[in-house]
Amino acid sequence: MISPTRFRRSLLAITTAAASLALLAACTSPASSVSSATASATPVDGGNLTFLIQGYDVGWVSSKTAISSYEGNLWGELTDKLVYVDSKGALSPWIATSWEELNGAKDFVLHLKEGVTFSDGTPLDAAAVVANINLWAKGDATRGITKVGLFPSAHFDRAEVTDASTVHVYFNAPTLGFIPTLAYHGTILLSPKTLALPAEEQADLSKEIGSGPFVVKSWKQGDSYVLEKRKDYNWGPAALGHTGPAYLDTITYKVIKDASVRTSTVVSGQADVAYNIQPQEISSLKDQGFTVGTPQYLGFTDGFQVNTTAFPTNELAVRQAIQHGIDRTEIVNTVYTGDWKAATSFLQGNVPETGDYSTTIAYDQGKSTKLLEDAGWTLGADGYRVKDGKTLEFTLTPNPYVPSTQAEDELIAQQLKRVGIKVDLKVVDVSGYTAVIAAKPPLFQQSRSFVDVGTVAGVLTSQNKGEDWYSLGTSDTKLNKLADGIATSSDRDARAKLAGELQQYVLEQGYAIPTVQLIQRLYLIAPGVQGVSYNGLAYANFYTAWIAK
Amino acid sequence: MRSHYLRYALARAAQAVIVILLAYVLTFLVISVLPGDPISNSLHDPQNGLSDAEISQVVAFYGLDKPVIVQLGLALGRFVVGDLGISLQSSLPVAQMIGDALPSTLALAVSALALSLLLAVGIAYGVQNLPGKWAPGLLRSIPSFFLSVPNFVIGLVLIELFAFRLHVFTTIDPNSPAATFFAALTLAIPVSAPLAEVLIANLDQGARQEYVLVARSRGLTQAKLFAKHLVKPSMLPAVAMIALIVGELLGGAVITETIFGRDGIGTVVQKAVTSQDLPLLQAVVSLAAVVFVAVNLAADLVSPLLDPRLELGTIRREPVTA
Amino acid sequence: MTTDLFTGRLRSIPAAGRRVAIAVPPTVLAAVFVVLVVLLWSVVPGIFTSHDPVTGNTGEKLIAPSPAHWFGTDYLGRDVYARIVYGTASSVTSALVAVLIGLIVGSVIGLASGFLGGGVDTILGRVVDVLLAIPGFLLAVVVVSSLGFTTLNAAIATGVSAVAVFARLMRAEVIRTRGSVFVEASYLQGGNRPQALLRHILPNVYPSIVALAVLQFGMSILVIAALAFLGYGDPPPASDWGLLVSSGKNYPTAPWLVYAPALVIVATVLSVNRISTWLRQAR
Repeated sequence: MISPTRFRRSLLAITTAAASLALLAACTSPASSVSSATASATPVDGGNLTFLIQGYDVGWVSSKTAISSYEGNLWGELTDKLVYVDSKGALSPWIATSWEELNGAKDFVLHLKEGVTFSDGTPLDAAAVVANINLWAKGDATRGITKVGLFPSAHFDRAEVTDASTVHVYFNAPTLGFIPTLAYHGTILLSPKTLALPAEEQADLSKEIGSGPFVVKSWKQGDSYVLEKRKDYNWGPAALGHTGPAYLDTITYKVIKDASVRTSTVVSGQADVAYNIQPQEISSLKDQGFTVGTPQYLGFTDGFQVNTTAFPTNELAVRQAIQHGIDRTEIVNTVYTGDWKAATSFLQGNVPETGDYSTTIAYDQGKSTKLLEDAGWTLGADGYRVKDGKTLEFTLTPNPYVPSTQAEDELIAQQLKRVGIKVDLKVVDVSGYTAVIAAKPPLFQQSRSFVDVGTVAGVLTSQNKGEDWYSLGTSDTKLNKLADGIATSSDRDARAKLAGELQQYVLEQGYAIPTVQLIQRLYLIAPGVQGVSYNGLAYANFYTAWIAK
Repeated sequence: MRSHYLRYALARAAQAVIVILLAYVLTFLVISVLPGDPISNSLHDPQNGLSDAEISQVVAFYGLDKPVIVQLGLALGRFVVGDLGISLQSSLPVAQMIGDALPSTLALAVSALALSLLLAVGIAYGVQNLPGKWAPGLLRSIPSFFLSVPNFVIGLVLIELFAFRLHVFTTIDPNSPAATFFAALTLAIPVSAPLAEVLIANLDQGARQEYVLVARSRGLTQAKLFAKHLVKPSMLPAVAMIALIVGELLGGAVITETIFGRDGIGTVVQKAVTSQDLPLLQAVVSLAAVVFVAVNLAADLVSPLLDPRLELGTIRREPVTA
Repeated sequence: MTTDLFTGRLRSIPAAGRRVAIAVPPTVLAAVFVVLVVLLWSVVPGIFTSHDPVTGNTGEKLIAPSPAHWFGTDYLGRDVYARIVYGTASSVTSALVAVLIGLIVGSVIGLASGFLGGGVDTILGRVVDVLLAIPGFLLAVVVVSSLGFTTLNAAIATGVSAVAVFARLMRAEVIRTRGSVFVEASYLQGGNRPQALLRHILPNVYPSIVALAVLQFGMSILVIAALAFLGYGDPPPASDWGLLVSSGKNYPTAPWLVYAPALVIVATVLSVNRISTWLRQAR
């Protein structure tokens, strides 16, 4: 059954490769890809897209603390959300056609699109939405299902069905973050039947029933996942400018662990899209006529969370010395390309509330040295600082979810060596990284996207069951106050001002040490693939994509 | 003679079982030194919000709180009845995970074994029969070259050349016949080297012997001569070597499968190592030992039947005498 | 990895066939030269390159090989040749450590086994059987994951997986030499066992053990490179050869990052193997 298809595919691959070789031979200028793009600007139906991705090592329980960047790609095609967010952070209707903010942002009314169904035939109505919201907000401890990490559940009261297409949601305090969070890639709408299953059954992808433009056709866990277009789909986000079903017939997600193999496979014409490639390869790939999507998501920048209870980052001077010891411009120029920007805060530049704190975190070797000298860290013979017989040393583990963090961390180790801080590297893969994060080393990378700045309040400290990113608990009263103020603010301007103060404070204290504005999701796209769009969480929408014949 | 052989066979089988059990104990002791385990790691993740009491309950469920010697006893008891335990990382039965991975590795190893035999015989034939001095001399140095190239380099070069440049196979479908062929070749190249050396040495020795001259004077063609008189005497050491080669193939699979993106036993080993999945690692290593010992046993049992001149008592100790 | 196969072959060469080599073939001379250079790299890397292996010039990243950078530069602008030269110490020294562990532990087991015989032989024989039963590379992976991912531990792991090979060879050689006429004669003259051991057996066993050790050295370089390739050695910025290949393969547009260290590994192991073959023939 496989061989004719494979034969055809390889024949196709060979011809494509031959064609691209001919193209390359004819003219190596990037202009060739532009001309081929304009030659067939009308979308065509049909086509099978192969998408190479790094790995799916965990189950498919959708409601959890954080959805991995890899899962998010698949979820985005299988499910819909209530609200769409574009790359600039602007919200627009999707399954919710409109919404109202009442009672000082304490109550919300959602009006739903009618006629939407899940792929099992269940209507996506108010009752289904209420079931979803309840699980996002509270999880279900008895079934081992956690809440959605960034959902503003601190003051969540209840969600009620008003009529079949209207939902009323109540909070105990103002929650401006609610509506934007509905566009987050963790708040995906699933069939109530799926939600009612115990966790271990939800881990089974075939039981995950969504309402999205694609459905699961077949899959082999950890290896490949074939999605097939849903022919009756007709409720995509208006912002994408496309109605009806997707153009593509199928999308095959194929796991290939090695970034260079993913790149070379697409370059050699054997696949259409590769996820997460080496940034330093981008310019030469673009020269060969490939498109590289480098969408920037709304959320936290690349950089480090600091464990304020671990040696040596339990000391303010050390944290500040690291903050000023990192040359962010050098990182951008060396490890990345022109698509990247140095961080100016620990929030991404496209988040409206992000300020420019580049002076607060400016690279200043002299300042770092002085901070450490004043704190009693003296330079030893090996070039590293010592205090009380202990070397100023910690271990960094490159984040396996973000391309080229290993090169970045190697460079940071070199930079911090200049001020006498010793940085060791430990390299692990995705499965080993969980253990590293669980151990909370002094500095660790954890990227996280969000749609609304209000969600920041829920993760920094441990108040309101927050995630306590910096291991401060509730010990820093100033941070507590700022975070609480953001969480319960009902006025966007006042909240933006608080967010500014919070950024300044967190950076000064060295709780967060940002490096560059994160481009976590890189898409290497073969010349024939067109119409790929990106949402505010930097995921590609293949609903609008098509393959030029 | 029959009863003599039977006694020999039984003794060998008993030894094999002892070696397998000891190998199990040794691996268990070595890996129980491993710091941490995925269960405790994920339980201590603050995002799970479990209390210390709850954590120790789960740890106790997996038996990770007991002294090493007790754990060993329990594990050995389960191993003897064929229960390999539950993976700490994925919560799946280890036997199932290995069962899923085994076919891919078997296909790889069997193809690699066949390829390495082909390569070795080809090289030996060339050494013996190519005209002139240059070509045979060059062929003679090939085994040494094969042994000097790291197999990850062989794999990378083959992929670059045949997948990305010549499009002979695709990396998307690592289990396709073409991809399996090149993965097997990666594994076969270092394995074929010692085989070829043994064959060449035998041929050199055989070529000097009289019966070859006699045969040649009778007008046998080169190829027939090669097959009849030179390869056949080499079969015995080759059979013994296959046992050792099986071990080589299993070890080499770790690298080869990683490079070619195949989901097999080698990948399972890698995952088990990085996630400190002790039962899984233990099971794979034990499986390798079982396979190795079984093949060795088979070789030892077959050898005296192939060549009755062999003294039964001496075979076991020197399985690879060339 | 394939060493056990060789033991058989080594041992199969009849002792009577020993002859003294008069002329050293040119390929052996070349091999000795390569090995000498590599050993010098590991001892005094500084005289072979003026570049810093750890801190590069980030403005000169991913430059193709040129007179200024013989093997090009890597993704942080570091000179690849310098990284290879400085990586020699851990790549090659660790192989030496591995061989020493295998040699010493294996020889002691083999000596005791062959010399004492009886119950000791049986027990030690079983230990060796067990070590042999686990494929060498798998054993090394298990040991290194148990000890922790450093190059030294990778060396220890590789050494452990080589113990059985040395033990078997030593035992066989001891048994053969013990049975020979002159050792029996020394018993008759009133010599005791340890003296016989030292005076007669060791010098006789020595040549084949050396040949095996040299061969094992080449093998160990490969095994340690493979472990480093899988990430089981020292983490970056260390520049073990295997690690250089694995981090270099992330940059398909800069193939020298893979081929330069790969070539160095091949050249080194090929040379070591050539010397080992020559030693065996020259015995």
